[in-house]
Amino acid sequence: MAGIFTVCRKELSDHFGSKRYLILFALILLLSAVSAYQGAEYIKNNPRAGFLAIFSGARFGFSFVQLMVFFGPIVGLALGFDAINKERTSGTLSVLLSQPIFRDSVINGKFLAGAMALATLTVSTIGIMCGVVIPILGFGPTLEEALSIVLLSSLTILYLAFWLSLGVLFSVLTKKTSTSTLASVATWLFCSMMIPMLAMLIANQLVPFPIELRPGNQTQRNPQQLTPEFQALMEKRSVIQSSISKLSPTQLYSEVASSILGATLGGGGFSSAFRAPTLTESVTASWPNVVAIAVGLVVCFAASYMSFIRSEIRPGG
Amino acid sequence: MSQPMIQTQELTKVYGDITAVDHLNLTVNEGEIFGFLGPNGAGKTTTILLLLGLSTPTSGTAMVSGYDVVKNSKEVRKIAGNLPELAGYYEDLTAKQYLDYIGQLNDLPRTEREKRITDLLADVGLTKWKDTKVEKFSRGMKQRLGIAQVLIKNPKIVFFDEPTIGLDPEGTKELRDLIFRLNRDRGLTVFLSSHLLHEVQLTCSRVGIIRQGKLEETATVEDLTKGLTGKEVKSIEFKLKKVTPELLKELKGLEGVTSVTEENDRLYVYMTEDNTEGVSETITKHGAIILLMKPREYTLEEVFMKYYEGFKGR
Repeated sequence: MAGIFTVCRKELSDHFGSKRYLILFALILLLSAVSAYQGAEYIKNNPRAGFLAIFSGARFGFSFVQLMVFFGPIVGLALGFDAINKERTSGTLSVLLSQPIFRDSVINGKFLAGAMALATLTVSTIGIMCGVVIPILGFGPTLEEALSIVLLSSLTILYLAFWLSLGVLFSVLTKKTSTSTLASVATWLFCSMMIPMLAMLIANQLVPFPIELRPGNQTQRNPQQLTPEFQALMEKRSVIQSSISKLSPTQLYSEVASSILGATLGGGGFSSAFRAPTLTESVTASWPNVVAIAVGLVVCFAASYMSFIRSEIRPGG
Repeated sequence: MSQPMIQTQELTKVYGDITAVDHLNLTVNEGEIFGFLGPNGAGKTTTILLLLGLSTPTSGTAMVSGYDVVKNSKEVRKIAGNLPELAGYYEDLTAKQYLDYIGQLNDLPRTEREKRITDLLADVGLTKWKDTKVEKFSRGMKQRLGIAQVLIKNPKIVFFDEPTIGLDPEGTKELRDLIFRLNRDRGLTVFLSSHLLHEVQLTCSRVGIIRQGKLEETATVEDLTKGLTGKEVKSIEFKLKKVTPELLKELKGLEGVTSVTEENDRLYVYMTEDNTEGVSETITKHGAIILLMKPREYTLEEVFMKYYEGFKGR
C-alpha cells in the first residue's frame, strides 16, 4: 500500500508544479469567474432565477456547465494521456518498477493523483465562483442549493475522472506520447463536436421538417403553426437527437448537471413546463446517466489496469 | 558461499518467435563481480529483467538470494539494485528529491533516508549539485545519480546493465573504482552486463558469455584467456631496426615457426613450440637491432572474436 501513496504524492506534486496543469487551471478559473459574474447579472435581471443560475446562466460565452462540457474532456485527458508511456519512453519506468513495489501501485497511484488534481481544480473553481457572486448578489445559496452545489461538484469530478481514465488508457495502450496525444484530441473532437452533429443529421433524416418549415421559408412561420402535430414532430426529433447524443459522455454530463441545477436545456428551442424539479426528483431522473459515466470510468480504468499489469518490460523500454 | 546469490535453471524467455533467453543455467556466487558478456541483442538485458521479476519467464526458474523471481519478486527487488541501460531520470526533480522518492519507494523511514541520501551524494560526488534539477546534469552525473539510486536500498546485489555506455574514460574509471570499492567494503555482489570486453576483463572476477540467449561459457577471466590461447600458437612481438628479406626468410625456415607477419613497424613471429632462443639468435646474427621484444598477450577482445569466429564456422 505504501507504494500507492508514495507514487500518488509524487505525481500530485508533479501535477501541481506542471505548467500544463497550471495553465488549464488558470484557464478554467478565469472563464468560470467571468461566467459567474455573468450569472450574477442574469440573476439580478431575472428575479425568478435562483442562486444556482450562476452555473448555468450566461448570456455571453460559456456557463460553467458549458465550459465543462467543452473543456472538461481536454482537462481530464491532459492529466492522463502520458501517465505511463512517458515513463516508458524516458526509461524511468524500469527504474521505478525495480523498486520493491507492486506494479499496480504505479497505475493506482497515478490515477489517484490525477483524480485528486481534478478534484482540487473543480472544488476550488466552484468555490471561487461562489466567492465572486455572493458579494455581488448580497445573498448566498439556500440549504437545498448548497446541496445541489455539492452534487454538481461531485458529478463534475466524476465526469473529469472519466476523461482521466480514458487518457490513462491511451497512455497504456500506446507506445509514444505523440500517438496518445492525437488519440486524446481526436476523442475530444469526436465527443464534443462530431456526435452532436451526427445526432442532428440523423434526426433530420428520420424526422424531416415539413417543407414549409424548412429554413429559408422563415416568412411563413407564425405562432399559429405551433399546432399539436408540429409539437409532436419537434418532440420526436428532440428524443432522437438526445438519445444519439447520449453516446457522448459530455451530453450525459450536461443533462445531469442541468437537471441538478434545475435549468431546462434548450434542446429543441422549446420547453414545456417551467416548474423547477426538486433536487430528489432531478437526482432520480438523472440516475442512469450518472451510472453510465461511472461505468465508463470503471471500464476504462479496468482496461488500463489489466493492460498495464500484463505488459512486459522489454529491453529498450 | 553457502548459497549462490543467483541461480537460474533452464531459464527461458520467448518474445513471439524470438527466443531472447534460451535455457539459461547460471550461477553467481555471493561477493563475486560477475561479467555478463555478449554482443548486442544476445539476451543480457532480458536476463536482468527476468532476474528482477520485471518480466515473466516462459519456462524455467530463477532464484536471487534464495527468493524465487516469480513468486517473490518484491522480496528480490528489496535486496537487488538495478541500474538499467540508459536509465531515465525524472528531469523535473532535484538530485535529492529523486533519491528521496526512490528511498520512499523502498519504505525507508525519513531520518534513515536523509542520512543515506547525504552519504550517497557525497560518495558519488554530487553533494554540490544536490538541489540542482536532474535535467541540468551531464550524462556522467546522471550515471552517478543512478548509482546512488541503486545503493539507497542498501542492496546485497546490484545489476549494472551496460553501465559505461556514453561515459568518458575518466567516468568509466571512476565507475570501475566504485564497483571495486563496493565489492570490497560491503561485500556487494555485482552483476555487470557489457559488450565491452576490455571493461569486463578489467573489472570482473568471472565471466559468462551469452550468445543468442544461450550461455556459452562461464569461467574466470584468466581461465577463459588461457583456455583459448592454450590451443593457439605462441607468438612474439618484435620491433626491429634493419629488417632484411633474408632475415625474414631464415626466420620462416626456423624450427617450430609457422609464420612471420609484418604489421606497421612490428614483426610477429608465430610458433607451434617455444623457440624464442632460436628466433632471437637469428635476428642478432643478421645484424638487426631489437628495440622491443615481448610475448604477445591476447586481450579478451581477441579471445572473444576468436570465440565467435569458431561459431561462424559451424
